[in-house]
Amino acid sequence: MLRGKFTTAVLVLIPVAVGINYAGKFFAEALKLPLWLDSIGTILAAMLAGPVVGALSGAFNNIIYGLTAGPFSLVYALTSVGIGLSAGGLHRSKMFENMLRTILSGLIIALVATAISVPLNVVFWQGQTGNIWGDTLFAFLRSKGINVWIASFFDELIVDLIDKFLSVVVAFAIFRSLPKTLIYTFQRE
Amino acid sequence: MRVLGLYVERDTPVHKLAPFTKLMYAVTSTVVTFLFPSITVGILFLVLSVFLNTIARVLKHLIALLMVVSVLSISIFLIQGMFYVGNYTPLFSLLRLTFYKEGLLRAVVLVLRLFNMISAFGILMLTTRPSDLIDDLVRRGLSPNVGYVIASVLQIVPQMLSTATRIIDAQRSRGLEMNGSFHKRFKAFLALIGPLVLGSLLEARERALALEIRGFEARTKRTFLKDFSESKR
Repeated sequence: MLRGKFTTAVLVLIPVAVGINYAGKFFAEALKLPLWLDSIGTILAAMLAGPVVGALSGAFNNIIYGLTAGPFSLVYALTSVGIGLSAGGLHRSKMFENMLRTILSGLIIALVATAISVPLNVVFWQGQTGNIWGDTLFAFLRSKGINVWIASFFDELIVDLIDKFLSVVVAFAIFRSLPKTLIYTFQRE
Repeated sequence: MRVLGLYVERDTPVHKLAPFTKLMYAVTSTVVTFLFPSITVGILFLVLSVFLNTIARVLKHLIALLMVVSVLSISIFLIQGMFYVGNYTPLFSLLRLTFYKEGLLRAVVLVLRLFNMISAFGILMLTTRPSDLIDDLVRRGLSPNVGYVIASVLQIVPQMLSTATRIIDAQRSRGLEMNGSFHKRFKAFLALIGPLVLGSLLEARERALALEIRGFEARTKRTFLKDFSESKR
């Protein structure tokens, strides 16, 4: 699968991206931030080495998390792949050139993540996310007779929007401060 | 060396099974409970999975894993019980909230499915060394590069988390405030993640060089250090 297509530098980058995801979550918990911030590594890998590497980092992240902590995160590997692909694609299309574009990219990535998670939530857990705030909103919307899909969309969106948006901004800030020689190491072409 | 994983060292028949066999059981039982959303199928597989965990003498660890999803399970019962689409027959009322039979039955199926998924993967995770699983998969045709990436993640994550702890200490000794308003704490987050990313990317570059020097890109047939016993087909 990965044979021949990837340089050693890229293969080494993927585990580091997963490590950055874990560390982001760890720091967020240490600071008691009401966020996960656990996709910064995926986004950075996508910016450094392109959408495919970003997608792979996301997939490996959830597979490893699923196999070592909680299997239900396996389900959301698709969401992580979507985040990696969209972050890489947006970076290729120069959507991280300035702050305004980055903000727009952050919103796009958050929407992509939500759009992928919602069908998974509906199929696997009848629309719930397991997040207390999101599920409270979900229960409220359902009690008003609102469609499962729409209720689940908002359930996921309030959870994801700020989190993914800030993750993108952090990744962008870090990427801009990296030395150019380091960036070239991981670029594929 | 600290490696990420839930492996519990024991000497039982389940531990001795080929890792691939356990992986296949986990995948099969998860897929089947999704294809047949009935309480009977759910209970059948959950009982089987818990039974295998008992033989492997890792039941205590499994319960710890199940506790992680207890919040999700309770919330499934509450929300499905009250708001499931097919709700028709009221069962009981609690504090003016009505719970319905259909929704609660649906919740039982969902929670059984969730618990079975965790128990089945629990067998794999609790009784298999991650490196053995990777070895077995590479032997069966998984690209060694993928094997490397997985093995490397399992080693890097604990390393990076201990670096993360060191960075927290270092930045606090320089007067970083970890408490206060959201804005303050978010700025602290940047001060913590920045050095970690830079450091780990520099290390990654060195690791790539070291690997290439040792023939990482060699395209010859690989040999294996360990053998797994497996029944003949």
